Amino acid sequence: MRNSALTTAALVRDTFREAFARKIFWGFAGCSTALILFFLFIMKIDVVQGALATISLFGKTESRVEDIRLLVRQVHGGVAAFLYSAGMFLAVFASSGLIPTVFEPGRIELLLSKPVHRYHILLGRYLGNLLVVAANLFYLVVAVWLIFGVKTGIWTLGFLYSAVLTLYMFAVLLTVVLLVAVLTESAVVATMVTFGLIILSPIVAQRAMLERLLSSAWSRAVARVLYYVFPKVFDLGRIARAMVMGQPAAGWMPLWTSAVFAAVTLSLALYAFSRRDY
Amino acid sequence: MDIAVETVNLTKVFRSWTGREVRAVDGISLRIPRGAIFGLLGPNGAGKTTFVKMLLSCTHPTSGTAGVFGRRCGEPEARREIGYLPENHRFPTYMTGAGMLDFYAALSGMEASPRKRRIPELLELVGLERWGRVRLGKYSKGMLQRVGLAQALMHSPSLLILDEPTDGVDPIGRRQIRDVLHGLGERGVTIFLNSHLLAEVELFCRDVAIIHKGKVALQGDVRDLTAGSGYRLEAAGVPERLQDELRAKARGTAARDGAVEFLFASREEANAAVDMLRAAHCEIESIARLHSTLEEVFVRTIDAQ
Repeated sequence: MRNSALTTAALVRDTFREAFARKIFWGFAGCSTALILFFLFIMKIDVVQGALATISLFGKTESRVEDIRLLVRQVHGGVAAFLYSAGMFLAVFASSGLIPTVFEPGRIELLLSKPVHRYHILLGRYLGNLLVVAANLFYLVVAVWLIFGVKTGIWTLGFLYSAVLTLYMFAVLLTVVLLVAVLTESAVVATMVTFGLIILSPIVAQRAMLERLLSSAWSRAVARVLYYVFPKVFDLGRIARAMVMGQPAAGWMPLWTSAVFAAVTLSLALYAFSRRDY
Repeated sequence: MDIAVETVNLTKVFRSWTGREVRAVDGISLRIPRGAIFGLLGPNGAGKTTFVKMLLSCTHPTSGTAGVFGRRCGEPEARREIGYLPENHRFPTYMTGAGMLDFYAALSGMEASPRKRRIPELLELVGLERWGRVRLGKYSKGMLQRVGLAQALMHSPSLLILDEPTDGVDPIGRRQIRDVLHGLGERGVTIFLNSHLLAEVELFCRDVAIIHKGKVALQGDVRDLTAGSGYRLEAAGVPERLQDELRAKARGTAARDGAVEFLFASREEANAAVDMLRAAHCEIESIARLHSTLEEVFVRTIDAQ
């Protein structure tokens, strides 16, 4: 048990070191810091007698509490949407570079020669990658949440929940990166396949419309299967947006079906890695 | 006898997508006792690296078994006893020398405090004590070999598997590595050396196996394998009549700078010749047992296959 923790810690530390060295971590952190500074300085708040009086944004003054609440939610929503879309692409792109490096000849043999199970090596790298992205994600989200909370007194937990959901979706997509990287040892192929899934997601999410439009029974069945099998990047994005806006989620099916997809993909990656010759 | 490495009919067949088969290792059975200094030789593509990779469980055997200190190679615990330096290693260049030692030692199950203690010791042992904080990207090839050796030694393994350990190392560094390995050999560490440098293997290893086309072509004690049959006797001032007499008994002769060289098949014949030469007041320049170099043995073995 102790050895296992020691190994996991070493693998996670190694992933962070590689992310630092590749400047991925600093690139994300730099962009996040720029955004945080932007929010710090664009929003001027005048406090009168301890209560929130007005907010000045780009010189325009808002004073009604409901308007301010909506404004905060919209800013949160914008940041959450940015993280869920562009941030997700960037995170997948960066991770696709970090995972296949482990399988480089001359490096993998040394890792495999250590008294560590193969699954442990792969899961350690997976966890390290997830934590690198989590650190960057929560740095931005918590900072923005604090800035708006402190300045407006409006504390909405939905924004934080949406960040957890974003990380969850990334964790699902990272299993695809892992599987493709094990099978092909190529960062480019891993990136392309994962991007393909993200791009395909809003299309298959239109299952009801597709079923109406498709004429043959088998093509309707294919559309249905694709919808239930693939990770629901689009649907979970909608849930994240609803969380930020304080609205109830339409349903949690996308969450658990994506979890099933991740579990299957991860199992396949672990199995393929355990059988491979290096 | 305590066995460090044992393989029984170890076989690896690689199959391509087209169905083509390559038998990289073909039923190799080897027993290497604990404390041995063993050299594995063979031409390129003979199956040496695949054999080593099966010992480390990087490659799965198609059939047969491989074990280290009585444990099956597939078990991670078996690898706790192994220190390994791969041939074309690619250490992460973002790590410092000390960081790399720390990382691989942690994977070997070493706790933080012994790691911290051992890193400077090993960097000093391989002559890199001032380079611990420098990134590996700035190391020369020879320095990478030396820090790689330190990596293999971090957790004090009982079996050291080294693939071309002196590759790219200058003569002084090479000697340093040899001294380190000699010291480990004297302390009872089993050393498994995979090298193309036959002179080095001859100098360093006690036992060798030559593999060719995936099979063991020759195996044994280096001294036995390189020992020739016969003796070479060189003498000066040998009268013509005695020269003729000895020529009749010798396997071969050669004249050189006023001296005559005789080759005798046995020690008895060589001793009898010495007696005759001394009785005739001839000068004995030298007498030596004939032997081959490991390179000659290697070439003969491969040519015979």
